[in-house]
Amino acid sequence: MNRFVIAEASKCIGCRTCEIACAMAHPAGGNADALTPRTFAPRLTVVRSGTITTPILCRQCDDAPCVRACPSGAIVYAQDSVQVLQERCVGCKTCVVACPYGAMTVVTTPAAAASDSVLASRKTKSEAQKCDLCIDRAEGPACIPSCPTKALHLIDKDRMAATLRKRQAQAALDLAAGVQF
Amino acid sequence: MKKVITVCPYCGSGCKINLLVEGNKIVGAEGANGVTNEGELCLKGYYGWDFLNDTKLLTPRLTKPMIRRQRGADFEAVSWDEAIDFAATRLKAIKAAHGPDSIMVTGSSRGTGNESNYIAQKFARAVIGTNNIDCCARVCHGPSVAGLMVTLGNGAMSNSINEIEDTKCILVFGYNAADSHPIVARRIIKAKEKGAKIIVCDPRYIETARLADLYLPLKNGTNMALVNAFANVLINENLYKPDFVAQYAEGFEEYKAAVAKYTPEYTAEITGLDPQLVRDAMRMYAGAPTATILWGMGVTQWGQAVDVVKGLSSLATITGNLGRPNVGVGPVRGQNNVQGACDMGALPNTLPGYYPVTDAAAREKFAKAWGVPSIPAEKGFGITEVPHKIHEGKLKAYYIFGEDPLQTDPDLGMLREAFSKLDLIIVQDIFMTKTAMMADVIFPATSWGEHENVFSSADRGFQRCYKAVDAKGDVKDDWEIHSLMATAMGYPMKYNNAQEIWDELRNLCHLYTGATYEKMADLGYVQWPCETEDHPGTPWLYKGNKFDTPSGKALLFGTEWRPPLEKVDADYPLGLCTVREVGHYSCRSMTGNCTALQTLADEPGYVQIHPDDAKTYGVKDQALVWVSSRRGKVITRANHNDRVNKGAVYMTYQWWIGACNELTVDHLDPISKTPEYKFSAVKVEAIADQAWAEKYVQTEYSKMKAGMRKAAMAG
Repeated sequence: MNRFVIAEASKCIGCRTCEIACAMAHPAGGNADALTPRTFAPRLTVVRSGTITTPILCRQCDDAPCVRACPSGAIVYAQDSVQVLQERCVGCKTCVVACPYGAMTVVTTPAAAASDSVLASRKTKSEAQKCDLCIDRAEGPACIPSCPTKALHLIDKDRMAATLRKRQAQAALDLAAGVQF
Repeated sequence: MKKVITVCPYCGSGCKINLLVEGNKIVGAEGANGVTNEGELCLKGYYGWDFLNDTKLLTPRLTKPMIRRQRGADFEAVSWDEAIDFAATRLKAIKAAHGPDSIMVTGSSRGTGNESNYIAQKFARAVIGTNNIDCCARVCHGPSVAGLMVTLGNGAMSNSINEIEDTKCILVFGYNAADSHPIVARRIIKAKEKGAKIIVCDPRYIETARLADLYLPLKNGTNMALVNAFANVLINENLYKPDFVAQYAEGFEEYKAAVAKYTPEYTAEITGLDPQLVRDAMRMYAGAPTATILWGMGVTQWGQAVDVVKGLSSLATITGNLGRPNVGVGPVRGQNNVQGACDMGALPNTLPGYYPVTDAAAREKFAKAWGVPSIPAEKGFGITEVPHKIHEGKLKAYYIFGEDPLQTDPDLGMLREAFSKLDLIIVQDIFMTKTAMMADVIFPATSWGEHENVFSSADRGFQRCYKAVDAKGDVKDDWEIHSLMATAMGYPMKYNNAQEIWDELRNLCHLYTGATYEKMADLGYVQWPCETEDHPGTPWLYKGNKFDTPSGKALLFGTEWRPPLEKVDADYPLGLCTVREVGHYSCRSMTGNCTALQTLADEPGYVQIHPDDAKTYGVKDQALVWVSSRRGKVITRANHNDRVNKGAVYMTYQWWIGACNELTVDHLDPISKTPEYKFSAVKVEAIADQAWAEKYVQTEYSKMKAGMRKAAMAG
């Protein structure tokens, strides 16, 4: 089972601390001091609609539409998660369209021109960006500890199994309370 | 790398932070295990420190004293000696010509600390000889202080922030904890998880409304009617505690008579609330074994604010929800040290420690300690009275310390015009601000993080901030600047450090005497009253139901509801209410210079509007629009928002371009003089040429930033 980060909407207060923690953990160009509106690209989005407030981010699907959709083989399963190999990404946005959670974005930034020639074409680099579980960060996902109400959780196989056991035990108790036909 | 303990400089929650310091530079922040935050921080705590590195994102740090020899001329950087002499000479001349009461001084409810506020008020009272000292409590929880002082005897939260999670019922009235105090919002969530009932009274469907058991979306400007209806239900349904009232309260018969006509049926038309909902709310509140009322600016920023505070206090009193743990009244203070500025006497009617200026014995005690013949006995002016007193010719000089009234006070056009009539404006700050741009003298000060000090959190908790880095530039601690001014004006004043000041004041104020620097060391937390050094401090007030009123009893209060001053009409059909942005603080001079916070939210801000109203006025989501009132016109971005009620629009108050205070009305509560920020009649108009509008915003914003940069960098 792939691991994923999910929020308890009942605890979210919409403060967006997680968005900043995410953007700081994934600074464009690797420099958080140089953060600008253009390089501020959090991979989770706090959604505030009528009656719900919660961050939305990649569910690391086990049979992921983005993986199936990618024509260049840039999206792969690795370390119990879905990861993007940026060197293969062509910025075609098929994954963006495929994702049912709206968790994928394609960010295009100018790249250094290959030559000084006046005929040199515009150079850009595209990246399909989504939650990567801060895979290179030793302490794990940056958003989770930043949340002041502790609404975000990393769900792995063990945590999922524990939750299932708890729910099943509760269901058994509810039945013991008396189901009659 | 070293870790330096401090207290967050942004709201009154009192969160302890470890600043991570390398060399003389802060490189990060992490939550420390403080009493109120238990290791948690919000976005401002985590990402709100890099303004100290002078990022110049919004405005530059002030690094040298500056004077302006003529109005309209450029600033001129001068030595401290020259700047002090320039300011003191002029201030002395004004005092000689027009008397001490022609000078107005502010305290600062922000990062400066308690010691500097004590010194600012000492400067006003002992050196100038006036009670004209005030702070931005006036524009926020002034009514809570004024109201609760009368009904219970202390103008602060009766119980502690950490008790909120163990109460069994929370009545949230006009208080959006999620945006104002995320760390208090966290306690509300924990209370809910522990089984507390939550009642929310707010016209907007705020985050706390999502967890509420009962949500009362009252019409804007009907607080007093609802509070009276609450009292009416408690009394008529016998939900109150007659024994408690008989023993510990006074004024019940008058109270009962005052609220008699305010049945939920009578108030339904005023508040728009179903009578049953009002009854259910009070059955829930009175039925809980412990209940806490929390309120914020939704109660205080009205022309009728002190009355509502007294009414809320009365609800807690008649249900016996005072004088024990996990109950009480909670005006949750907005600015990090607005409680402290009040504690230190940066108010026109109280000396440090809340001794009234009318108390002859207290005046004598302070006069003796300060070595002056006497201290004035008449209440001074509040900051919101300043423009009127200028127009009456009574105020000639304004010494503004760590505040930006030309951003945060109402009806800015009127205020600018009044400022231009002053003979002398002195601004003491860390950043160039809109107010500093109008100054004759600018004193640059050290910031939070660059000096040590004590802050008071919203629940009366004194905590220490340690110095993390040395300030850059030719700047001085605030109390040293006031001391130099005092000395130049003929009152020698000298302190070697903040602790000397703290020790002077705690020995003058019985409420704080036991709060020593040693007890507050590291993560120490001392809540006043703390009268002796062996006393641990007081998490909750009114033990034994003994109140700090003259009679020792809690005063009950109800009165007639008054509608807001301005009425909506065909020309201005919407009610504007000013609110908070979670990632920004006060006038934005600090958070606007923080990389992450500035990136998350920048000009021109938003006007939140119900989608139905947006449709009526032809306003598209995210489009730039004009918002105008009878006083001004600003450009901002529309945010279609189905959590706001129809007929009202909401704007946050820290933007320069989308500056809602160009629109707000200068209508004050008669007692606390707090402005009615929560209701001004406005209209919202679509802009056909969006490309022009986008360009206009960027051009104007760049122009303002460039102007301030140029002024601050003057040679």
